[in-house]
Amino acid sequence: MNDLLILLIKASVIYGGLLGTAALMTLAERKFSAWMQYRIGPNRVGPFGLLQPLADGVKFIFKEEVVPDGANPWLFRMAPMMAAVPAMLTVAVVPFAGGDIVLFGQNFGQLSITDLDIGVLFMLAIGGLGVYGVILGGWSSNSKYSLLGGLRASAQMISYELSLILVVLSIVAMSGTLDLRGIVAEQTGTWLLLPAWNVFQQPLAFVLFVIATFAETNRHPFDFAECEPELVGGFHTEYSSMKFALFFLGEYCAMVVMACLTTVLFLGGPEVPYWADAPWFLQLVAFMVKAGIFLFLFIWVRWTLPRFRFDQLMHLGWKVFLPLALANLFLTGLLVSF
Amino acid sequence: MVIVKRKTLSLAERLYLPEVVRGLSITFRKLFQPKITRQYPEDPLPTTSVTRGQPRLVVKDDGNIACVSCGLCEAACPAYAITIDGHETDRSIEREPEEFQIDMLRCILCGFCEEACPKDAIFMSNELELADTTRSALVYDLERLKRPAAALAERMDYIKRINKRWQTSSST
Ligand code: SF4
Ligand code: SF4
Repeated sequence: MNDLLILLIKASVIYGGLLGTAALMTLAERKFSAWMQYRIGPNRVGPFGLLQPLADGVKFIFKEEVVPDGANPWLFRMAPMMAAVPAMLTVAVVPFAGGDIVLFGQNFGQLSITDLDIGVLFMLAIGGLGVYGVILGGWSSNSKYSLLGGLRASAQMISYELSLILVVLSIVAMSGTLDLRGIVAEQTGTWLLLPAWNVFQQPLAFVLFVIATFAETNRHPFDFAECEPELVGGFHTEYSSMKFALFFLGEYCAMVVMACLTTVLFLGGPEVPYWADAPWFLQLVAFMVKAGIFLFLFIWVRWTLPRFRFDQLMHLGWKVFLPLALANLFLTGLLVSF
Repeated sequence: MVIVKRKTLSLAERLYLPEVVRGLSITFRKLFQPKITRQYPEDPLPTTSVTRGQPRLVVKDDGNIACVSCGLCEAACPAYAITIDGHETDRSIEREPEEFQIDMLRCILCGFCEEACPKDAIFMSNELELADTTRSALVYDLERLKRPAAALAERMDYIKRINKRWQTSSST
């Protein structure tokens, strides 16, 4: 089999997995929120309501598309794509399992679409593009609520991306590489009897990173871009039908990708604890379990905490996170060099 | 002037994180608690004699309806939902409705008809479901409104009991 075919197969499997997970996340979100509120949640479509995302999708397709008067027609249509595509692109570099995959006597190489030397940089750079969709969507729909939502998203993104990247830098300083596989390799083995994962070696960075990902993906308690009580629906107030669904898809894909990134950076990626050369499918399972924990955390936090105030968010971002991230980077630098 | 005292927060509270963890632990425990949702169509709420459902005409044990077509319910109905066409009959009551329509799209389920009726002929049943696909299907005619007295017995007893209480207390 030639390389192109293998690549196509791997890409369709991984993207299928990503979109499937994102769809399931919408169901999980509703299920868990229901359970936390003594409700049952969707249970009518398919067994346990498992086909609910499908039904939602069909419903979205059949909804009427409304383009508001005075909206910029091109940007208005482009914004949802801009929001969804970067989140999906970034999954290309995530190493889902170490080691070569051999199936049906055919070597498929490693389970990731591509291995970039600058994987971390790629994820952050492309992932950061996602906010353009939100800003453009807010700006092009010619509505004050949308515009405010977009503005907030951009302000929030700048303040949190900074600390996020500083935190990632301290991980990069520890492993000395921007390659995600390199970072995973650096975390194998044990450290003080614990797995040598960065979550144990860099606890402060871990906490900062997880919180910053919430702000980065516009999730509760930092979802100021939507903020229903103040801004109706925020940046997607004017969106309907599949365009709205794309924004949603983008948000959930970004969550999945961020969960993957957290897993890779802090939980040793696909490594099975204390078993460095586990077969690839066990590693894949380990990866999914670890990422699943973070996905659950996204939902869990959303249905627990009230939304912050916008000034609190900025305060937290600039006066708490930035100094802490800088200090952490400084300390890590000291430790690494001596 | 109202002075709102703000609680001084301890360091742990100002750090957010311990409180966040506390909140998370609460919601996590709630995940496993019994659910209170009622699976409605399969598992409807139980109804009692106090349930004021939809107006229905009583069919007595001898197979005739109790209504004498006096028109009091028609007059009492605030939503003009009732239309009665009476005619003479050989039975001792002399008049009975030839057609008795209640437009369930107009009916506001207030129960005034039940109170107005001098012959205990119309009562609010315990039926709560009221849905159809056409408007004409929701204009109920005599046949659809008939209910055997046994099916309405609980409600009839209840109303009679209430009325008796009124009569005794207002006689003073
Ligand atoms: S319940 Fe009220 S609205 Fe309905 S028919 Fe009787 S009197 Fe009219
Ligand atoms: S008030 Fe009673 S008896 Fe008179 S028409 Fe109405 S249902 Fe019949």
